[in-house]
Amino acid sequence: MGTNVGLAPMVDSTISVITNDGRVIVGILRGYDQATNLILDECHERVYSSKTGVEQVVLGGLHIVRGDNIAVVGEVDDEIDQGLNLSATRAAPLSPVQH
Amino acid sequence: MLPLLLLKTAQKHPVLVELKNGETYNGHMVQCDSWMNVHLREVICTSKDGDRFWRIPETYIRGNTIKYLRVPDEVIDKVKEEDYKRDEKRPAMARGRGRGRGPGGRGDGQSGGRGGAPGRGGRGRG
Repeated sequence: MGTNVGLAPMVDSTISVITNDGRVIVGILRGYDQATNLILDECHERVYSSKTGVEQVVLGGLHIVRGDNIAVVGEVDDEIDQGLNLSATRAAPLSPVQH
Repeated sequence: MLPLLLLKTAQKHPVLVELKNGETYNGHMVQCDSWMNVHLREVICTSKDGDRFWRIPETYIRGNTIKYLRVPDEVIDKVKEEDYKRDEKRPAMARGRGRGRGPGGRGDGQSGGRGGAPGRGGRGRG
């Protein structure tokens, strides 16, 4: 299989992960496996709120996120991301995944 | 790089484990396996809301209850180091082109058997 499908092309780039508990985690993808376990580097969490701006919580360092509780993995365009005004962004937090 | 390889390399290092139920366990990882089961020593357990703590000498956590693990930054460098060392040790021949079978193949029904030894290539990185 080519390297242009699945998670392979995202390795070493910034990604955004939505977990089953509704958290949004942004970090650099360092590795993954068949179970969608991910290695995330330089993680931070974006806590959305409808009252205040987005709060960035630095989780720091290396994380191994278990595939079980990953809902969505998305590519992040660093340039666009840097241009976002997070403190002015209002959005309701996500609710946890319903099984 | 595979997450479980990183986990394996994190053995004997301090790690933080958050379970699906929100509890966190901080401790030294003694051992882990390919199911992500982990054995920790000298553990501090924190309740879901973070207001209660327990000191536990030893815990064994079943892999499927884990939400995520935090490992020290230097572990990723260690994985690369060990990778490199392993490559150096292996003879150049065996460092094959991925999974190729090469000559020998699966047998053509006439020659019988399962193809066999010649040029199996091993599991090398390309």
